[in-house]
Amino acid sequence: MSQWRPSPDEERWLAVASELGAAVPHAALAERTGGWRSTGPLARIALFGLGFVAAVLLFGVLGFGSETMLLVAGVIATLAAEWLAVRKRLYASGIEEGLTLAGFLMIGLWIAVEVLPAPDHGDTSLHALVVIAAVGAAGLRRLNAFVTTCAGIGLIYWIGSTVLADVLDAVTDRGMTAFAAGCVLAALALALGAREYRRPAHDRMLDWLVATLPIAAYSQYPRVAALEAAAVASGTGTTRLIVVVVLLALGAVMLTTGLKRRRHAPLWGFLGCVVAIAFELRAAVPVSAETWLIAWGLVALAAGVALDRYLREPRNGLTSVSLKRGEGPLDLLQIAGSALLAHRSAPEAPSAEHGFEGGGGKFGGGGASGRY
Amino acid sequence: MHSLEPELRALREEGLIDDATAGRALALDRGHVFSMYAELRATLYAGVLLVVAGVGIILARNIDRIGPLAIVLAVALIAVACAVPAVRAKSAGRPLPVAGEYLLLLGVLLVSADLAYAERQFALLGPLWSWHLLLLAVAHAAIAYAFVSPLVLAAALTALAGWFGVGGTPGDLLRVSYSEAEFGARALACALVIAAWRYADRRARPESRFSDVFDHFATNLAFWGVIAWCLEWPWLAAGLPLLAALSYASVRRGLESGREAFLVYGTVYAAIGTCAAVLPFLHGATLSLGFVLIVVCAAATALWRLRRRLREPGP
Repeated sequence: MSQWRPSPDEERWLAVASELGAAVPHAALAERTGGWRSTGPLARIALFGLGFVAAVLLFGVLGFGSETMLLVAGVIATLAAEWLAVRKRLYASGIEEGLTLAGFLMIGLWIAVEVLPAPDHGDTSLHALVVIAAVGAAGLRRLNAFVTTCAGIGLIYWIGSTVLADVLDAVTDRGMTAFAAGCVLAALALALGAREYRRPAHDRMLDWLVATLPIAAYSQYPRVAALEAAAVASGTGTTRLIVVVVLLALGAVMLTTGLKRRRHAPLWGFLGCVVAIAFELRAAVPVSAETWLIAWGLVALAAGVALDRYLREPRNGLTSVSLKRGEGPLDLLQIAGSALLAHRSAPEAPSAEHGFEGGGGKFGGGGASGRY
Repeated sequence: MHSLEPELRALREEGLIDDATAGRALALDRGHVFSMYAELRATLYAGVLLVVAGVGIILARNIDRIGPLAIVLAVALIAVACAVPAVRAKSAGRPLPVAGEYLLLLGVLLVSADLAYAERQFALLGPLWSWHLLLLAVAHAAIAYAFVSPLVLAAALTALAGWFGVGGTPGDLLRVSYSEAEFGARALACALVIAAWRYADRRARPESRFSDVFDHFATNLAFWGVIAWCLEWPWLAAGLPLLAALSYASVRRGLESGREAFLVYGTVYAAIGTCAAVLPFLHGATLSLGFVLIVVCAAATALWRLRRRLREPGP
């Protein structure tokens, strides 16, 4: 039994407890989990935020102006997180994760600012790498998939900012090196996911990379920043073809793997590839932004309707019906998303000449104004 | 990959979980049953988002080319078409499928955009334009009740909040153009109406699926209103006790119903409100930051302790 973090067995029992919930007596699992205490998803998110904010505030109290205080605040935040883990046996509770991330980040920033030599000709890639490494170390220390994924995405950004990437991009196209690196990392994470892992957290880390890296890699590709056809069509024909082929291949592998392994992460990765392909095809079929939006919206709706109909009755164990009851973060997101859409499409206040006095309505959304 | 099969089997052999629970958990763990519900919802939501965005741009850009009346009629027609799957499911006595619900939401949002456009073009209600929001709220609520759709109800409540002058997103708090006191009063009034509506709904239909939606809207709006009051003297005198009462009620609701979202609301909003009330009276960055740090630590401790008391899973 380790003091620093749950053993693989303890972590597995924690996963069982989380999976079964009230169906299994808490007392029966308390001993097997080694006394480690966790929390629910919403509280974990809130506590993560509070922990991170607390560490930043600590730095503020010590003095924003001093680089040395970065180190002091970082060390205090890290020690506080370790105390919570070792003494209070907190694991995946949010607060210690937020403190660790902020602590490591501040220490990494201090090393980048104070220890490393000043940037040579404005090249800060080494400094950025140190900060990314600090985030990665925080994620690995806390076995937090979200934080390691942030580090993974940061690594792709870093690869795209190196001198080597500049040289390679000059031969191919801007952003291609980072895009290729992202796709390779996603494929690697997908391949590694086939192995059996004792720790559920290690599996989750790979899952998060698989789910997010395709879209993160594509976002390195500068054309994604603009929705206007002229900007999207700025790349060369050959690289666009390569990008589409790579995305198609990666998407196909993600889809088949997700269905074969019955895992969500590759399916989310596949959806990311579809989004990227939709952007890339915009250059091949130069239509107006609204036509493109509506066309892809209808494609998504048609696919959703077809999938819902096809899987309403389970086929080979696959179903479109929810298997979980109760309110999770996704249900809250669904309500919030619906409210956000309604907010965007509702009437807005007319211009002043209408002499608006009204019942107070103050929507500032899109709809007729077309501010989308 | 990882499998929890050995642990699940051990629990079953020790008689700690019944066969049905073990069977269900094992089927999920092995992937014998696999739900694509989340992916389906994301796809449908993206579809609705893209279509609504595209229609919004069309309404803004093509007025002269197509003509306002043609646009209004076309969008209305599409909105009606979106409701067809929901109508068919209802007439067949089936529950509303996920895709049908999202299509219904799309129809409702298109109606909203259409009405907004018509109002802008034809100034149907003139200075009383904001009554459109109330009309929308009523119409959306009727549709939500007809098809038992929580998503459409969320759209109705957003329109209602808009009519009260409270935006549907937290971002609106940051660009309040009334005084804080007026915004707070409007938000609290809206929260009260929604709470009363929820109460009536629960009494009329004890098995209602809408309670969660009502609860989240009413709680958030009430907290926004109270925090707005905490920003301005003399409303602060009413705002602080109200903040304490609301936080207590929210936490108690969370503990009783086993829903951690209300614990989060109760603690996090209480922390924000306390900082909003006290910070204007503190001078100096160090003192202010120190105070916020203490509040944040207190909120984190409270949330952690409360979460442990929740009647929910966890060792």
